[in-house]
Amino acid sequence: MASDAAFQEAAECIPRKTYRSIISQVKVVVCFSMASKNQGSAPRALVVEDIKVDCVILLRMLHKLNCEATVANNGKEAVDLFLQGKTFDIVFSDKDMPLMTGPEAVAKIRAMGAKVKIVGVSADFGGMEAFMQAGADVFLPKPMKLETLESMLQEVTSKKNMSA
Amino acid sequence: MAAAALREQLNTLLSSMFASGMVDEQFQQLQMLQDDGGTPGFVAEVVTLFCDDADRIISELAALLEQPAVDFDKVDAYVHQLKGSSASVGAQKVKFTCLQFRQLCQDKNRDGCIMALAVVRNEFYDLRNKFQTMLQLEQQIQAQQ
Repeated sequence: MASDAAFQEAAECIPRKTYRSIISQVKVVVCFSMASKNQGSAPRALVVEDIKVDCVILLRMLHKLNCEATVANNGKEAVDLFLQGKTFDIVFSDKDMPLMTGPEAVAKIRAMGAKVKIVGVSADFGGMEAFMQAGADVFLPKPMKLETLESMLQEVTSKKNMSA
Repeated sequence: MAAAALREQLNTLLSSMFASGMVDEQFQQLQMLQDDGGTPGFVAEVVTLFCDDADRIISELAALLEQPAVDFDKVDAYVHQLKGSSASVGAQKVKFTCLQFRQLCQDKNRDGCIMALAVVRNEFYDLRNKFQTMLQLEQQIQAQQ
């Protein structure tokens, strides 16, 4: 955006009425652009977690970071969401869950061709290898830190806004 | 009792829980998530969920360890779950006792596991009592406002 000095310089070169008209039109365009960006920029997360307390904490963090979140209670529910055509900007998946584990779900999601950022999460450090082999992008140990989550979401939001 | 006195009691309780290592910075993070977001019941919800879950897991562990042939994989899975949720709420002492418990599971040491369960149970009951006092004080403070 032009600086105040640049606007001042422009104001001195064109008639006042014309200048005011231009400025108000520019303001409308900028506001609309910002509004559109704000509407489109909220990242959509899928939380795949069977432990209620962990789910509640992660949802609270995501809410604080203005992230929309959907919950799947196990790997199978997560895969079913993708099969239904749902899309997400980021997936946070626990490792050990009933019906289908996190790494199993990640492998199936990748096999579908989904390019979504996938974060494997576990209190078990041994889970990292399983997640990365399955196709996860990142592994985070539990409990997750808000700052780590924030920087991850910022990265996702920037990529989303750049491709918008 | 006046709100200020109740608040002082609550602060003293929380300070002692941190000082004794009963809770760690993860519990502070939960408190921040509540305070920053204007969601007054968040910590209460999390603490209640954790206590209900831990109670259930401890009962399951006791039943498993009473079996003539102990399924150590199942025991380990439950202890892992308890370790995870205790880490998530900042229940540091419970988490550490779970770490020791897991080692005994991996060694398939039944007597050791039974003793470890007793330690975990005691630590959890201590923590639960403190959490209950904390929630009662918070309710009393809210009632005064």
